[in-house]
Amino acid sequence: MKITVQNKNAELAFDCGASESILYAGLRQGINLPFECATGTCGTCRARVMSGEVDVRWKEAPGGARLKPEKGDILMCQTRARSDCVLRVPSELLILEKSRPARRQGTIRGLRRLTKDVAHFDLHLSAPMTFEAGQFVVLEAEGIPGGRAYSMVNFDTDVDKLALVLKRKPGGRFSDWMFDELKNEMGVEVFGPLGRAVFRPEEARNVVCIAGGSGIAGMMSILERAVRADHFRNHRGAVFFGVRTLADAFYLAQLSRYAEASHGNLEVTLALSDEVAATPLHAEFTALKLESGMVHEVGARVLAGRERDFLTYIAGPPVMVDSTIRSLIAGGTVIRDIRYDKFG
Amino acid sequence: MTWKRICDVAEVAANSVKQFDVDGIPIVVANYGEGFRAIPPVCPHMEEPLAESAVIARCILTCTKHLWAWNLKTLAMQGETEKPLKTYEIREENGAILVNIEDELTYEFKSEDDMDDDFFK
Repeated sequence: MKITVQNKNAELAFDCGASESILYAGLRQGINLPFECATGTCGTCRARVMSGEVDVRWKEAPGGARLKPEKGDILMCQTRARSDCVLRVPSELLILEKSRPARRQGTIRGLRRLTKDVAHFDLHLSAPMTFEAGQFVVLEAEGIPGGRAYSMVNFDTDVDKLALVLKRKPGGRFSDWMFDELKNEMGVEVFGPLGRAVFRPEEARNVVCIAGGSGIAGMMSILERAVRADHFRNHRGAVFFGVRTLADAFYLAQLSRYAEASHGNLEVTLALSDEVAATPLHAEFTALKLESGMVHEVGARVLAGRERDFLTYIAGPPVMVDSTIRSLIAGGTVIRDIRYDKFG
Repeated sequence: MTWKRICDVAEVAANSVKQFDVDGIPIVVANYGEGFRAIPPVCPHMEEPLAESAVIARCILTCTKHLWAWNLKTLAMQGETEKPLKTYEIREENGAILVNIEDELTYEFKSEDDMDDDFFK
């Protein structure tokens, strides 16, 4: 099917298969259709169907709450085309050349629990993928209406294996399903890589990473890339990893290794929101600092006196990302130095 | 020209926003240190309530939902902002801020304005 997207000033057209969402069809052909979560929760990919037949897959998607379906409003990530269509979108349209996402099949292997509500697994891909440090993929399977986004923990070029982490959200339908039902050899559909909160050593910037819970995933990829490029020989880095208690922390051995491989220029701090830090340093991994408080407050406190000469990456639950952005901007960080992904 | 009182200057601290109701019209007053602006209560991007999500620093108001931002002194759009901020005409008098209200400013595209371009906001 042919999809034509229009905004006030431009019009672009692309092909769309029968069994892919309109959003994915556009993204894989390099069109910068607006989106944020790619999984039906945020509403950013809204469009109005001016002509053509469409099929809305997940009609109760929370991101669609303020849409007017009677006027043809849809979420592009949840909609498939049944005929050629013309859509209006309220944003800029461009064709991007690099790193186009694509669809692959994935098989889950190496599933293991890291804490009581965090699991790590490897996704073996049907075809290799190249991605930037900090990007994510969306997994789709029978029990996950709308799909679910996961940031890559690993970093490599042209890999056929992604490392992903999953945190169980209390009362979160999808992650409960995934957490309890996830089994080795299970097959899922994978779309990606997606996301603009990426790290490239050639930008030659100091780096701050503020992560809440499973938001640490993409930061691990960023640190992997940075340490491999010996980025911290000449630049500074600070990582703030927010968890409730020390028992909820994970990837500590790896974080400690990154800190130790960074010429003393990378500081890693665990921010405990529900526990008072008993000592200033972790007892076993002494390269890791401990602080008490919400991660965005700890970050703001530690960075308070310092010059704002860094890029800041933020990831975690949407409320945490919002609070962190607010406190960074109030503290003088400019918007072009803030990179984040928000998927609920 | 209908000038109405929104609030006292002292009610909106420097580098902050506060929402008021002027005869049923919601208006956000922003104090950017060097002056004030009176604006519609939501972001022109995706209607995020600015009283909750806006932060002002160095004369720039940022909606922290997606980082659309405007310099409140010059109204210049910052970064990836795609729509201009609408403002009401205001003046200060005897320690109060007055606004010139004709109609409520909104970012809605009213369908009767342009039948060919039935855009949603």
